[in-house]
Amino acid sequence: MARRHKDWLAKTAALIGFHQGGPRIVAVNEHARSAGIRAGQRLADARTLVPDLTTAHAEPAADLKLLETLAGWCERYTPWVAIDPLGGALVDSGFESDEATQGVDRMATATFGGDGGLMLDVTGCGHLFGPGIEGERALLADLTARLARHGFTTRAAMADTAGAAWALARFAERQKDLLAPVAGHRTLLAPLPIEALRLDSTTAETLRRLGLRQIGDLLPMPRAPLAQRFGDLLVRRLDQALGSAAETIQPRLPAPAFRTRLAFAEPIGRAEDIAAATSRLLAALCGQFEKAGVGARRLELSLFRVDGSIERTAIGTGRPSRDNAHLMKLFQEPLAHLDAGFGVELMMLSAAAVEPFDTQQVALAQAVGGEVLLAPGGGDAPAAPARGHDAEVVQLVDRLTQRLGAANVVRLAPRASHLPERAVIALPVAKPAVRAGLWTKVAAYKGPRPTRLLAQPEAIQTTAQLPDDPPRQFNWRGTLHRLKRVEGPERLVDEWWRESVPTAEVENAPSGRDYYRVEDEDGQRFWLYRDGPINAPPVPPASRWYVHGFCA
Amino acid sequence: MTVIFPSAFAPANAIRSDAPVMVLDRAEPDREGELRRLRETVRRLERSGGASSAPAIPLDVPEIDAALPDGGLAGGALHEIVPGNVAHDGAALGFAATILGRFAQVRRGQILWIHRDAGALTAPPYAPALAAFVDPARMILASSRRVEDALWTMEEGLRCGALAAVVGEIDKVELAATRRLQLAAEKSGVPALLLRALDKKSAAISAAVTRWRVTSAPSRAHLGADGESLQDIAGPRWRLDLLRNRFGDPARTDIPSWLVEWTNEKGHLAVVSETVGRPHGAPAQRLAG
Repeated sequence: MARRHKDWLAKTAALIGFHQGGPRIVAVNEHARSAGIRAGQRLADARTLVPDLTTAHAEPAADLKLLETLAGWCERYTPWVAIDPLGGALVDSGFESDEATQGVDRMATATFGGDGGLMLDVTGCGHLFGPGIEGERALLADLTARLARHGFTTRAAMADTAGAAWALARFAERQKDLLAPVAGHRTLLAPLPIEALRLDSTTAETLRRLGLRQIGDLLPMPRAPLAQRFGDLLVRRLDQALGSAAETIQPRLPAPAFRTRLAFAEPIGRAEDIAAATSRLLAALCGQFEKAGVGARRLELSLFRVDGSIERTAIGTGRPSRDNAHLMKLFQEPLAHLDAGFGVELMMLSAAAVEPFDTQQVALAQAVGGEVLLAPGGGDAPAAPARGHDAEVVQLVDRLTQRLGAANVVRLAPRASHLPERAVIALPVAKPAVRAGLWTKVAAYKGPRPTRLLAQPEAIQTTAQLPDDPPRQFNWRGTLHRLKRVEGPERLVDEWWRESVPTAEVENAPSGRDYYRVEDEDGQRFWLYRDGPINAPPVPPASRWYVHGFCA
Repeated sequence: MTVIFPSAFAPANAIRSDAPVMVLDRAEPDREGELRRLRETVRRLERSGGASSAPAIPLDVPEIDAALPDGGLAGGALHEIVPGNVAHDGAALGFAATILGRFAQVRRGQILWIHRDAGALTAPPYAPALAAFVDPARMILASSRRVEDALWTMEEGLRCGALAAVVGEIDKVELAATRRLQLAAEKSGVPALLLRALDKKSAAISAAVTRWRVTSAPSRAHLGADGESLQDIAGPRWRLDLLRNRFGDPARTDIPSWLVEWTNEKGHLAVVSETVGRPHGAPAQRLAG
C-alpha cells in the first residue's frame, strides 16, 4: 500500500478495515509502529495516540494478489513456497485455509507484526549461495536485499522449523537472531512473547493473565496439564515450533521433482541469449532425466525479469522425451513470443510432468507400430529402420501439437454408434493406433457413407411424387438439384440410452432418420436424410429433409 | 556455327511451328541424337532436387500412367487437385483418397492430413468413407483455422521423411507457398497432395508438378431401367482432366482427359473404355510449361 502512496514514507499511516463492530487498524507503517499503534487496535484508540494519523481502507484482495506475485517471485529460491495462512493481510481477502477453520483468529495472530507472510522451505537450497550455514545466510540476505530493491520492507528469518522461523521473523529483537543456527532455535525462542507461537487471542490472553508471558515460561511445564487447560492447539503449536511435531508446508504450486536454474551476472534480453540459456538448462535437465530413467511430458520455463515479474511458458510432448534437440525445437515457438522486458536475471526450467522412459518399452511400441505401418505390397518402399522412423513422427506430432493445440492434432478411431456424427472419435495421437484393418471391418457392415460429413446437417426444400417417397429434386444453397438415382433408405436411430430430441408434432413417438444416397443429373452425390417420428405415427407430419454429407 | 532464328529474316507465314528452328550451316549426321540426349539431361537436371531417390508412384490405371512421366505420379513432388463441381468437392475428395491409397500402398509410414477449418460450411474428411480408399488408422488429422498454420503444418510434415504422404485441404495458397511445399517435398521425397478450392484467381499459378480437375459424372445406368423412375446407384464416376503436367510429353497440346469409375468392391479405379480418346467438352488448349 505504501508503495502506491509515496508521501506516506514520511507520515504516520495505517490501513483500516471493519472488524468486530468498528473500524480497526489492519496494518501500520514504521512511524505508526513506533508511535505504539498496532494492528487490531480500534481506530479511535489509535487516534488518541496519533491525532493526525493518515488512514486508508485496506484492500485485502489486492494484498493477496500482491502476495501471490511475491510467492511466484520467491520460486527463484525454492519450489516450496506457501502463503502464510495466518498473515494479517489476508483478513477478508477470501483466502481460505485449514487454520482459519480451526478457530485460529487471524486478527489475533496479527496483533504483533500482522503483515502478510510467505513460508519457504529452503532445505537443500542454500548451497547455491555458498557452503553450509554461510550459504543460508547469503540466501537470506539476498532475499531481503532484492525485495528491498523492489520497495518491500521485509523481515526474513530462517530456522529448523516453520514455527520457529515464523516466530523469529516477527518477534526476534536482534538482527543476528533471524538466522537460527542448526538445532539452536530453542534458546532463541525462549525470550519471545507467547504470541509468537501462533495462538488465538483468548488463549494468549489467559496465558498472559497467568503470568506466562514468554515461550520460555512454557517450556519447562508438563504437557498433559497444559493440553487439558488450554486445549490441543497450544501444545501442538509448541511442538511445531520446537520441531517435535511435524508441520507441512503446502506449496502453492506442486513442486516439480526435476528442475534446473541459471542465474545471470548481467540481465540478458536478446532472444539468442535466452535461447542459448534454454538450451543449457535443457541439457542439464536431460542429464537429470537420464539418471532417473524418466522422460518429460511437460516442461515449464520461467523467466524472472529484473522488474520482479515472471514470464512463464510451457511445452508438452506426446511421449516421454529426453531428447535435447527435440525439446529445444518445441521451445522455439513459445520463445519467439516471450518478452524479456528490461532483462532476465534468472531462468528456471522445471519438469511439471515426467513419465518412466523405458527404452525397451519404446522398442516394443515401435515394433507394434511397425506392424501397423507395414503396408501390403510395399515393394519399393525405402528400407529405413522402423525405430528412427517412428521417433521422427512422434517428434513431428509434438511440434504440430505445440503450435496447433492438442485438440487439433488427432487420430481417428471408430466408435460404436449408429449416428454418423458419433461414429468417429478423435483420440490423441500418442494413444496406440487403431488396429490395421479395423476401419475396413467397421465400414463393411455400415451402409455407404459420405466422404465429407457436414458438422451441422443443412435443411433443404424437396419435391417428391408421393409424401413418403425419396425426393425427385431438392434446393440446397440456392441451387436446384434434379435427382437421377437414389439408394436407400437406411434407417438410423439414436441409441435408446441417449435422450433423443422430442419432435414437436408427435410427442412420444421415437424419432429416427432415413438416409438416402442420391445422385443428381451432373453426377454429384449427396447424403440426404428425412428426420421425424418413425413407426407410423397417428398423424404423419410433413417430412423434414436435410443434407448431411457429400459422397465421392 | 551460326544460329539463325528464322523470324529475323523470313516472313511470318514461313514459320512452320511455334518453336524456334535451328538452322545449322554445317550439317552433321548425329545432331538429332545429341539434342535428344541433351534434352533428356536437362529434364533430369530440372527434376532432381533430391527427388531422384523417390520413385514415381503409378496409379495402377494404365491409360493414365502412360500420360505421366516415368509412368506415375512423381514421388517427392506436389500434386494439386481442383474440384470441377460448384456445389461440393465430394468427387475431388474421392480421387484424392484414391491417390492417397496408392501412396499408402507403396510407401510406409503415417499419412498427415491437414484440414483448414474455414468455418461452419467446411468439414474434415469422414473416416468411415475414407476406409474404402485408405486405412484411416494410418492417418493423423491436423486442423487449423489460419492458413499460415495449415501451410506451416504441411511444410513441417513434408520435411519429415518418415511420413507416407502429406495431404492439405487449404483453400488460399499463394505461388510462393506452393514453391516452398514443392521444395520441401523434393528434399524429403514425401509426396504431397493439395486440395484446392474452386477459385480461379488463386489457382491460376502454382509450382505443383501436376494439377487435376475432378468433376463428378453421371454413373452407369442400370440395364432395363425406364426413363421415368429413379434408378439404383452404381460406382461413382469422375471426369479427370490433367490440367498441368510439368514433366509430361511437351509435344502434347491437348488436356488429357479420362472418364474413370471407382469400384468399391474391387477397390480400384478404371478408365471407362468407351470414352478413351474422346476430347472433353472444353476446347483443347496448349499446355504451358
